[in-house]
Amino acid sequence: MKFHWFAEVTYDDLPADFPQKHHSAWVDTPTQLVDSNRIGEIYRMFIRLMTQADALGFDGLAVNEHHQTAFAMTPSPNLLAASLASNTENAAILVIGDSLALYNPPIRVAEEMAYLDCLSDGRLIAGFVFGTPMDSVFSYGNPPVELRERFHEARKLILRAWETEEPFAHNGKYTQLRYVNPWPRPIQTPPPIWVPGAGSVETWDLVIDENYCYGHLSFSGLQSAKPIVDGFWDYVDKRGGETNPNRMAFTQICCVAETDAQAERDYYEAVKYFYTHNPVAPGFISPPGYQTQDSLKAAIERGAGGISAEDRERAAKGEMSFWEYDEKGYIIAGTPERVRERIRELATSLRVGQLIPTLHMGNLAEEVAAKNTELFGTQVIPYLRDLWADLPDHWTPQVSQDRVAAISPEVAHAAPAGD
Amino acid sequence: MPIDTLTVRDAEIRVWSQGDGPPLCYLHGFETHPGEAGFLQRLAEDHRVLAPEQPGYGESTGFDQIDDMLDLVLVYRQLIESWTAQTGGDRVDLIGHSLGGMIAAEFAALCPQLVRRLVLVDPFGLWLDDEPLVDPFVLTADELKQAKWHDPAAAPDPEPSIFVPEPEDTTGPILERAKNLSVATKFLWPLPDRGLRKRLPLIQAPTLIIHGQSDGLVSTSYAERFAALVPGATMAVIPEAGHLPMIEREDAFLDAVRPFLAG
Repeated sequence: MKFHWFAEVTYDDLPADFPQKHHSAWVDTPTQLVDSNRIGEIYRMFIRLMTQADALGFDGLAVNEHHQTAFAMTPSPNLLAASLASNTENAAILVIGDSLALYNPPIRVAEEMAYLDCLSDGRLIAGFVFGTPMDSVFSYGNPPVELRERFHEARKLILRAWETEEPFAHNGKYTQLRYVNPWPRPIQTPPPIWVPGAGSVETWDLVIDENYCYGHLSFSGLQSAKPIVDGFWDYVDKRGGETNPNRMAFTQICCVAETDAQAERDYYEAVKYFYTHNPVAPGFISPPGYQTQDSLKAAIERGAGGISAEDRERAAKGEMSFWEYDEKGYIIAGTPERVRERIRELATSLRVGQLIPTLHMGNLAEEVAAKNTELFGTQVIPYLRDLWADLPDHWTPQVSQDRVAAISPEVAHAAPAGD
Repeated sequence: MPIDTLTVRDAEIRVWSQGDGPPLCYLHGFETHPGEAGFLQRLAEDHRVLAPEQPGYGESTGFDQIDDMLDLVLVYRQLIESWTAQTGGDRVDLIGHSLGGMIAAEFAALCPQLVRRLVLVDPFGLWLDDEPLVDPFVLTADELKQAKWHDPAAAPDPEPSIFVPEPEDTTGPILERAKNLSVATKFLWPLPDRGLRKRLPLIQAPTLIIHGQSDGLVSTSYAERFAALVPGATMAVIPEAGHLPMIEREDAFLDAVRPFLAG
């Protein structure tokens, strides 16, 4: 099983009454609330933490794209990825991902991802995303009804640009180019491709048809995800796709400490900040046409997933105790022994081969995030390496697989199950 | 309801039609086709009213073949030419409401030979930097209700619509509305400006701009700008009406439209 260090680059100093005074942390949040010097400090902290993770043997370093939000101040994930590609040696550079419809022309993605692959010695994972409605529709102005078509036209153009050795013309609906011939080209031919989704059947079809890695990237944990992820695997099986868990990625906030009580002391405030300081105004959540009719129908029939609407509201209002967040799956917290046991349960239940542990959250202090990274890297990851280890992994770069294996410690007492 | 399905190019277009007399084409607004609303039935007392459901809305197909406004106008050109051929005339009266007003104005500029008289009712299609419109797609259901009616408490419930949900079916209306509004985003998102201001001066048909005085979606300045850009256009402001004056003030609406069409 593989582990990709990740965290949302959240602004950590919003006022305590932010959720009461502002309807949204996305799209139209007042920019006067933030200090640009502090944002610079946060950016430097993330580079330090992810460089630490690389040295500890994490399999990947994950960066993502969001716009006009205090929740994740990474408008171009390629910028942070470029810092990491030059500062690190081993881990995959997991760009998860570039919002294809927002690059004009989309060969910009082909160029920048190729730059990252060259700079990192072939360690890039190319993630392609639709972007949230807040990003792609409201902040970047795409008519929601066009988003899917724009995404697919861009995706095909990027792949063709990587694969074709001669200049070619692209006569698309949204992009026309007389001379497609990007420099540089990626080292990998092509890099592994990941596409996250939120349960849309159309996205499932795409990852099955193209054998991409699928990502269920939520912060609501096992219970909430279980119905959707089970639905995904049933669908893969029905379509005759590859049911190898290594083609499935999942995000999970993890809070590791020396004792369970210490975990509560270290992380409770930051966990509450993370969940309470991220309101999305109702009008920004589901613009018409963002989901297809089939996906909207399926979402209505599926309901809120495995977690009640009341619990979702309580989580967002910070009304849960630290251990209730843990019990409901929003976080996995405690000693390394407890955390690895719970991750094994999660990864087995959901058939996840690529875990994206979220090891900084909200307004967590750097030294706590560094401790979290250290404990997770040395006392959690080595004990879970056995999971799905007998299955091939076509979805992480061979270079990073080899380099991480070379620095990973052997754990003599790692048990194949139960631990 | 008197509904036929007509094939135009690759699209199957539902058309509500009623009455005898000179042909009158009605293009519906951004939310839904109003079905057999009272104002359409009364217009049908002395007209042959033809009210197509826009491609992509409800049961009308062909939206996937529409890349832009020009493609949509050409669908309506073929539809309207088929009607003028049937009736032996050469032109129709054209009424467009809201998004349909935007489309009707484009049509009148591009196909002047097919339009006898033009009525634009609270049309979208312009953008004034000094007076930005609210975003109709971001409003909650209650905010939209407040914005589009003069008297939200007296708004018809349900609103007139060609869509008739199955009893007990709560999902159907949600899907229908999402489908309709998704098509509207093609023309209204992120701003309802596709360059119409450059084409309004090319309209040749006598034109009446009708504006509900309390319209919270398209304000009076926009109606005034339409009236200023369309050569010779007249404007009728309907008091105590919002974005749907033909429903909220049916009598006043017809009192403005009938003499104009009779002229």
